[in-house]
Amino acid sequence: MMDALDKELLKAVSGLEQIPKGAYNIRKNGKLLTRNVSANIDIESLEGSRGIRVIIKPGTKNESVHIPVILTEAGLYDVVFNEFIVGDDCDVTIVAGCGIHCGSSESEGHEGVHQFNVGKNSRMKYVEKHYATGDGTGKRILNPTTKVFLEEGARAEMELAQIGGVDDTKRVNEAELEANSMLLITEHVLTERDQQAVSSNTIMLNGAGSRANMVSRSVIKGSSRQIFNALMEARAKCFGHIECDAIIMDNGINETVPALKALHPDAELTHEASIGKIADEQLLKLMCLGMSYDDAVNTIIQGFLK
Amino acid sequence: MLDLHNLSFMSDGRQIINDLSFTFQKGKFYAITGPNGSGKTTLSKLIMGIHKATTGNIVFAGKDITNYTVTERAKAGIAYAFQHPARFKGLTLRDLLNIALGKDHKADMRDIVEKIGICSFEFLDKPVDSKLSGGEIKKIEMATTIALNPKIVIYDEPDTGIDLWTIDPMVNLLKKEQTEKGTTTIVISHNRTFLEAADTVILIKSGKIAYQGDTRGALPLLSDLSICNQNCKVHENDGCFR
Ligand SMILES: Nc1ncnc2c1ncn2[C@@H]1O[C@H](COP(=O)(O)OP(=O)(O)O)[C@@H](O)[C@H]1O
Ligand SMILES: [Mg+2]
Repeated sequence: MMDALDKELLKAVSGLEQIPKGAYNIRKNGKLLTRNVSANIDIESLEGSRGIRVIIKPGTKNESVHIPVILTEAGLYDVVFNEFIVGDDCDVTIVAGCGIHCGSSESEGHEGVHQFNVGKNSRMKYVEKHYATGDGTGKRILNPTTKVFLEEGARAEMELAQIGGVDDTKRVNEAELEANSMLLITEHVLTERDQQAVSSNTIMLNGAGSRANMVSRSVIKGSSRQIFNALMEARAKCFGHIECDAIIMDNGINETVPALKALHPDAELTHEASIGKIADEQLLKLMCLGMSYDDAVNTIIQGFLK
Repeated sequence: MLDLHNLSFMSDGRQIINDLSFTFQKGKFYAITGPNGSGKTTLSKLIMGIHKATTGNIVFAGKDITNYTVTERAKAGIAYAFQHPARFKGLTLRDLLNIALGKDHKADMRDIVEKIGICSFEFLDKPVDSKLSGGEIKKIEMATTIALNPKIVIYDEPDTGIDLWTIDPMVNLLKKEQTEKGTTTIVISHNRTFLEAADTVILIKSGKIAYQGDTRGALPLLSDLSICNQNCKVHENDGCFR
């Protein structure tokens, strides 16, 4: 059912050596490969294998759902829409990701929209990894979108990573926060050669007491380009922070535009942004600990993207 | 064990280290002091290979290391704890200690952390970043340097940002490392406790050694303001803060 390549891709995007425990849905080349539901987590197909709807019962605690996507078919461009309905008072982890193996001159791609509704006082951790491999000359394209709606008192932690091999990516993250909800998004993107990545983020702080923190870490190798846009808009007494750091390694190009908009007098919004090479003092410190220059560079980058 | 022969360092047409020669003896404790801007940090960076000497050469344990890289000097057993330690994004104290201790090490990191007076082991997994206080980053810098178990070590103003109560334990720790492991120890400091702990005090002024000898001999010079090389008086009668 799953061959060695499927397993390699699965491991890269979800850290799984084999079929996960609990609820899961594995999609391969645009079709359902295998699925499991649990007592508290139901997964149903949307019309026309367009995607899935994951329904998590209120009060579900310490459970997880894995929904990896793997692509190995030349020339396929898979588009999927997945919806997650997390009931009130839950504490769940959702692990998504897309692994592409491109073995021909034809491009392959995946466009996934993940929409979340996180119920009152629920906690959700969402982990999404993107990875591409293969020695084909076709382009590997990934365009992930997340749309998060946090109800009162909900907390979401989202870890988004794209750590290699993707030629072209347009990432979109949108979030809306109701009263006393909290959102932490960390996005780590590494591009190399002539790859391109654009990340566009919009976070709306609608409710009083809502808090959002967006952390972006970019590494731009070779002659790749990255563009990072983030807008945080406050419509109540709330707190928001954007932190974006980009390290340019070779001849890369980066554009970082954090934007803050306060439509309420008690909003507190801050941002920190930096673009630059690896600091000499960091390299020198590691070299003083006995590391070679190249190992020091790798260690700093790995730490930065960890 | 470390010989500096006629070291000079020029930067932007300025002579920062001026024909300086000195021999550090194995296992001894040295204190280097001198006014701000006199060249103490520059001298340390020449020894570590961070700066390249304009002229002169450096011999360590019988080998000419003048052309060694920083990494090669570190591997040979030379260590430098920075005056202004680097702050990272993402790397933790545990990561840095793992690098310093080398692979397959069996050392207990908690021993090192405890030695240095970092009271909570949580520190091991905290990022070594700009959120740390000045004192904390200096302690971390010292911990990673001790973990190298160097043959010769320079601590560049290890006491800045350190509270008064921690100075004595810090001096004791470095003395203990020196006596138990035979580490040749050089501390750059203006603190009397360090000067008194040293076998030899070196006073640097305008990139040259102005005094070398025991602490007693150095003290009158330290209170003599003429060693200050910065003519910072605004008015005739203004005293100098130093
Ligand atoms: N890389 C450099 N390039 C140019 N000038 C420097 C450099 N590093 C230090 N200096 C200058 O050299 C002098 C000595 O500095 P430093 O060695 O840091 O003194 P100290 O550590 O004794 O306070 C100062 O005037 C300083 O401004
Ligand atoms: Mg200095």
